[in-house]
Amino acid sequence: MKKNIKILSLLTILLGFGACQKKDLYPVPQTAVADVSAFTTASRIQSMVLSLYGALKNGSSYGGRYVIDGDIKADNFINELSNVFTGYDVWSENPTNSSTAVVNLWSAAYQCINACNLFIDGMNNGGTKIVGTTLAANYIAEAQLIRAISYYCLLQYYAMPYANGNGSHLGVPLRLKGIESAGYSNLARSPVDSVYAQIISDLNAAEAGLPLNYSSAYNNVTRAQRNTAIALKTRVYLSLGNYASVITEAGKIVSASAPFTSPSGVAFALQSDITKVFAPPYTTSESIFALPMTATTGDNPGTQNQLGFYFSPSKGTTTGGTGNGEYSLNPNGVIADPLWTATDKRRAFIMGSNSGTKKWLNKYPAPSPYTDYPIVIRYSEVLLNLAEARARSTNSVDPQAVALLNAVRNRSDPTTTYTVASFATVSVLINAILEERNIEFLGEGMRNNDLMRLQLQVPAKGSAPARNPTDVGYIWPISVSELSLNTLCVDN
Amino acid sequence: MKKVMSLFVCLFLAYPLLHLQAQNTTVPVSGTVTDEKGIPLAAVTVTALTGDKKVVSTTVTDASGVFKLNVSARVRSLQFSYTGLEEQLIAVSGKREFTVTLRAGSRNLSEVVVVGYGTQAKKDVTGSVASVKGAVISEKPVQSFESALAGRSAGVQITVPSGVVNEPPVFRVRGTNSISLSSYPLVVVDGVPSFTGDYSNPNGTELSNSSANPLASINPNDIESIDIAKDPAATAIYGSRAANGVVFITTKKGKPGRVRVVYDGWVGENIAYGLPQMMNADQYIAFKSTAVANNPALTGPSLVTFNYAQDAHGKNVNTDWYHYIYRHGYSQSHSLSLSGGNESTTYYLAGGYTSQEGIIKRNAFNRANILVNIDSRINKAITIGGKISYSDEQNLAAASSGSLPGEAYNTIGLGREGLVLPSILAPYLPTGSYNINGATIGYPNVTGTSIPFFNPVPILDLSRSNNEVNHIQSSVYAQIKPLSWVTLKSMYAIDNLLIDYDNFSTPITGDGFSTTGTATDTYGKYKTWLWDNTAQFDYTFGSNHNLSLLVGNEQQRRSSTGFGINRQTLSDPAYTYIQAGFTINNPPVGGMILGQNYLLSTFGRLTYNFNHKYYLMGTIREDQYSALGVKKGVFGGGSAGWEIAQEKFWTSAGLDHFFSSFRFRGSYGKVGNNAGIGDFTPYSLYGSGIYGGTATLSFPSGSVGNPNLKWETSLQTDVGFNFGILHDRVTGEFAYYNNNTNGLILYVSQAPSVGLPTNPPLNIGSMYNRGIEATVNATPVQKRNFSWYTSLNFTYNTNKVTALAPGLTAIQTGTGAAGAETVNQTKTGYSEGYLWVVRTAGVDPSTGKRIFLNSAGQKVYFQYQPPLGSGQSQWTSSADGTVKYVSPTGGSSITQAADGVMYKNCLPRYVGGWTNSFNYSGFTLDVLLTYQAGFYVFYGTNAGLHDQRVWNNETDMLTDAWSPKNPNTMKYAKPVFGDNTSNGTTIPVDINVFSGNFIKVRNVTLSYNLPARMLSTVKISNARVYVSGQNLGIITKYPGPDPEVSSNGNSNSGQGVDQNTVANARTFTVGLNVGF
Repeated sequence: MKKNIKILSLLTILLGFGACQKKDLYPVPQTAVADVSAFTTASRIQSMVLSLYGALKNGSSYGGRYVIDGDIKADNFINELSNVFTGYDVWSENPTNSSTAVVNLWSAAYQCINACNLFIDGMNNGGTKIVGTTLAANYIAEAQLIRAISYYCLLQYYAMPYANGNGSHLGVPLRLKGIESAGYSNLARSPVDSVYAQIISDLNAAEAGLPLNYSSAYNNVTRAQRNTAIALKTRVYLSLGNYASVITEAGKIVSASAPFTSPSGVAFALQSDITKVFAPPYTTSESIFALPMTATTGDNPGTQNQLGFYFSPSKGTTTGGTGNGEYSLNPNGVIADPLWTATDKRRAFIMGSNSGTKKWLNKYPAPSPYTDYPIVIRYSEVLLNLAEARARSTNSVDPQAVALLNAVRNRSDPTTTYTVASFATVSVLINAILEERNIEFLGEGMRNNDLMRLQLQVPAKGSAPARNPTDVGYIWPISVSELSLNTLCVDN
Repeated sequence: MKKVMSLFVCLFLAYPLLHLQAQNTTVPVSGTVTDEKGIPLAAVTVTALTGDKKVVSTTVTDASGVFKLNVSARVRSLQFSYTGLEEQLIAVSGKREFTVTLRAGSRNLSEVVVVGYGTQAKKDVTGSVASVKGAVISEKPVQSFESALAGRSAGVQITVPSGVVNEPPVFRVRGTNSISLSSYPLVVVDGVPSFTGDYSNPNGTELSNSSANPLASINPNDIESIDIAKDPAATAIYGSRAANGVVFITTKKGKPGRVRVVYDGWVGENIAYGLPQMMNADQYIAFKSTAVANNPALTGPSLVTFNYAQDAHGKNVNTDWYHYIYRHGYSQSHSLSLSGGNESTTYYLAGGYTSQEGIIKRNAFNRANILVNIDSRINKAITIGGKISYSDEQNLAAASSGSLPGEAYNTIGLGREGLVLPSILAPYLPTGSYNINGATIGYPNVTGTSIPFFNPVPILDLSRSNNEVNHIQSSVYAQIKPLSWVTLKSMYAIDNLLIDYDNFSTPITGDGFSTTGTATDTYGKYKTWLWDNTAQFDYTFGSNHNLSLLVGNEQQRRSSTGFGINRQTLSDPAYTYIQAGFTINNPPVGGMILGQNYLLSTFGRLTYNFNHKYYLMGTIREDQYSALGVKKGVFGGGSAGWEIAQEKFWTSAGLDHFFSSFRFRGSYGKVGNNAGIGDFTPYSLYGSGIYGGTATLSFPSGSVGNPNLKWETSLQTDVGFNFGILHDRVTGEFAYYNNNTNGLILYVSQAPSVGLPTNPPLNIGSMYNRGIEATVNATPVQKRNFSWYTSLNFTYNTNKVTALAPGLTAIQTGTGAAGAETVNQTKTGYSEGYLWVVRTAGVDPSTGKRIFLNSAGQKVYFQYQPPLGSGQSQWTSSADGTVKYVSPTGGSSITQAADGVMYKNCLPRYVGGWTNSFNYSGFTLDVLLTYQAGFYVFYGTNAGLHDQRVWNNETDMLTDAWSPKNPNTMKYAKPVFGDNTSNGTTIPVDINVFSGNFIKVRNVTLSYNLPARMLSTVKISNARVYVSGQNLGIITKYPGPDPEVSSNGNSNSGQGVDQNTVANARTFTVGLNVGF
């Protein structure tokens, strides 16, 4: 019996050892943060806010391809390398459901949207308590602004312009709740007007929640402040053809007369030298919102997404080239405009090949890994948005419209000064404003959006055909994987 | 120990008896007992039996294997038995002298098998276990033991994937059981689950181009036995890790008796075989010029020309690239072991060194290892012991061979370079310097086109991609037997794998050119500790009821750490080491590793048999695993056996005269799989990001988990029977199994608008493996001087995926980096990784165009370059090229996505082997044939061999390509320079899919045991010399070098692909085994 007790106690000791390591069954990852611990400290929450900008900065989205595609889909560039991985199909106006551009922008924009949704949900579910209500309101406003931009980006390529049927066509799936697990694939596309309504609502909320400014010029440009939301609204309302609202919003940040500047919040103003806007430190008073890049891996657009890689020629063909020479300037595009004078400072962005006649855009000259900041919005756009809205809503050669246009033209081209007398009719003025946008924003991703919002033809260039608003291919098809995995989503 | 004691006792008691009998009419008989290698066996029990199997007398052999016995007239046969070796029964019939060889086969039902946390007599095992003795895999020129297991046992498929040394083989027990996790069996080495896989590629990112199989740390000469548990009765004790089968490795231990010293050594040569015959310079120029002429676009300024280059002697260059890439690899291996012991302590001490050169230049494997096993019985109740194994392995390569998973399309892939490089280019310029043009080879004699390939010679001279493994496997245990029927045991073990990866790409040319030299060094540390505690109760009551109960618990903790640096731009061209001057520093891709997991288990096993006639067994194991969402899982199995030959009706029917044993058995159980699951898979994680230089915490750079993630589970059924005929002269085994695997973890794509950064893992798929296994062993001839032993095994396995997931109707598995080409598609209703290609219908005799078949089976003609100005299209519905093809969905070309069909199965349905052993006086001839059948291989290399770009072509193109003179060939289209579609490079097509059926002469060994008399004068107890050949011949219709191949290595769903892979080597060895 005694022996049996001994054995039993031995056995108990041996088998009992197992119990002491249970915590090892619940390891805490040391190189990443589990979702349940994400909203537990103020510094994590602040890091997450910045990650939303990082998501917007994705090379497939606003960090590169969204901007590039806005130019190459339109008429100012010629594809040089016929490479479908670098937008040959976008340029040729025949991308398919599985084209790199179609698939990648869709998924990058929605990853950004989901990150914003998760962030807003997380703040409402406890994050606000950690950082306090004021900071929480600022942060949530930033998330709303980024979500609004992402939806705006999606609408520009995957949906019919608002002008076509007043937003009654199919827009994109509108997702406003954070998703972290399987089972949420199916959701139908909301109409264009509903998506725009959400964008406006987000931007209004952002205007209310964002701080007036930050402590540094760098933060004022690389993060959203109140005037960022207002500036973006002038763009969105212009896309909606709601000129009265453009005027209202612009009025908040554009003084009544030249020199134009924003009366409150961050003081925007045109730079006297436009090239400064595209040079380090990229944080001039003209840059309302730009996406910072550094040489660190992951902090720049990455392979085949960089603006400079596409537009700048290779150093082999052109001295000073830093890119891959993917797209040269269309000799019949805007650079052929005789009214764009040779001494216009904006021509300084154009460089010629060492031999031959090819011209290239060198607005983004930073070499690999391409650290030039893509600009989301700058002050000259707000001025031209307002100019166009005023001309269209007054249906006259509006003096303020002319003054605004002149401010943009005259700072780069001192030889030209516009006055009311320069424009015989309102349509001459409007065309001048549109052409000014074409010159001013060359290589900034605006051209295709401008053509689309006005339902204009996308002109032919090189071997690429023209696309009329009624043509298949005027807008992009929907991503193939969305169609196969979201049974409620229909193609264009 | 007990056994040895009882042997002595028997001897003691038997001795006077023998003397007594000697006075009766007895005759003295004597003989020698050796093992297969001719090593004399001491302490073999020799039993004299009457006609009705009654024991008359016994003796044991002495240290030189000699026995002497006096036998009376009623003794009819002598039985020779020795633990671990096959028992033999030899009729006396007047013979006085016996020479007996006891074989290390898997045939002996009286053997002991390892069953997990203990052993069982093979005759009491109701599970399906295949045992392979260490002797059959030692002395084989392999890096790790698994490669030598091919064809050795039913239910086990071994496919050696390439000729790269130390690449782990494809190892399957009863089929492929998973899609996302590993299908490699659990390998338990001396009670400790080992690392398996390829640690050159630990987390899906290649850290060096030389393989690192952690099992190669075990010197095959140190292995005593390998037991492969196949059914749930045998595997369920390993619960959540058992679904792929469990392989038990037992290393050698000392035996009581005098010190034994054994030297084992061999030298060998590896050669490549079956390499395609490529065009020489004359053929290349003529053929490519014709192809250029056939391309209407290549005229005027676009003309492409190929010209002769001259070497230093002014002769035309005609390079045989194989000569610069392949070699005769020389190998050697030396092992020395010292073993012995007394009644209380035994030891085994061994050291080994091997150096094995692969057939690719600079690819080699070097290993130095030490193994110590010590067991010591302190007193009647307590035994302690342990093991120390240390191994240092160098896996060496200059650069990618293009043969390891992910490498198939590497530009420097050496196997591929040997095929694609034109014979008109020379490795050296006439000046003696390398022929290079920046990153690529120089091609001054070619105009109008570029040649994008590297010159392999400077890379073979100057670059390296090595890893060095330090592997420590060690354990200690204490065992207490407080009562005769109670055994308590506690074991603590470590298994540490420490790896240095060292890569350097020369700045002169190739991959390192653009960065002006790149070095990447990574250090990886993979550690396991394990502690298990068991209690075993063996109790017999009522004389016939044998009961045995095992209970235990186990903890296993693993951790992994890795870090390193990637440095670019050398500051001095002479530097090659990471520590030297470089100007750019990056973290190494895939080298930053940090993980940990923990498995906590409790288990029990109850076995019962009545009179060794009726058997019952039940096993249960509860596992808790850190890397799952639902931590806890309960697994188990039950089995029953019936030894029918013990039944009265069997003997009364006289069946026992024919059948010496006949047993039915069956088992059913539930086992799991967790191999290869990431340590933090259940968590949704926010990762590190960066925004303008400021750190961020980002969901888009994180990953999506699943808090409900569980084990993949497999419900397995096994029924079968074992039999022995004519005193076990013929034995056999038959089994049917049905394994239904459910809850397969799949990473299920969600609609991209959901915005998830990765696909969440879900337990959602299912598949089955069903099959039959049969093994027959026989000794057809057993004469005094000549014997023939033969063993044939057969496995039929059918695999079918029965469910994937909504939104995941097909899983595509790419070959090469980032899936450069995809030919494997896993779909419900098909076997895993089914070959998915576009069909063709030969070559149009009138035009020489390749005819493709679209999804509807309609003919579509392809011309690479329509005549200029003709308005014709590349893809047309008419042979003349005028009717533009419009696909059913409106497309204008054939694509794999639209027109690919589920074409052929790539998993071998039939596998097996046939072993033969012939003994004649001192000579033994062993022949092993292996076979695999019922599967197809996508010979992707074949597309490259017939690609009409600058790539060199196989010479069959000269005779089998369409030309006006040869219009009726169906094989290759009219060569048009630039055409990479008609041959199948851009779209995988059926013309490159071939049956993989083969029969291989895997191993032939002729050995000779030097006569003992000769050796005794020089104090050598045995000596054996042998010559051996591996992969000597192959019977197959497969056109490539070897259908036993896998470009995707051990991948579950990427089998049956031969894409630029260096084939297996043929090896010849000469060896010597000496015992003192």
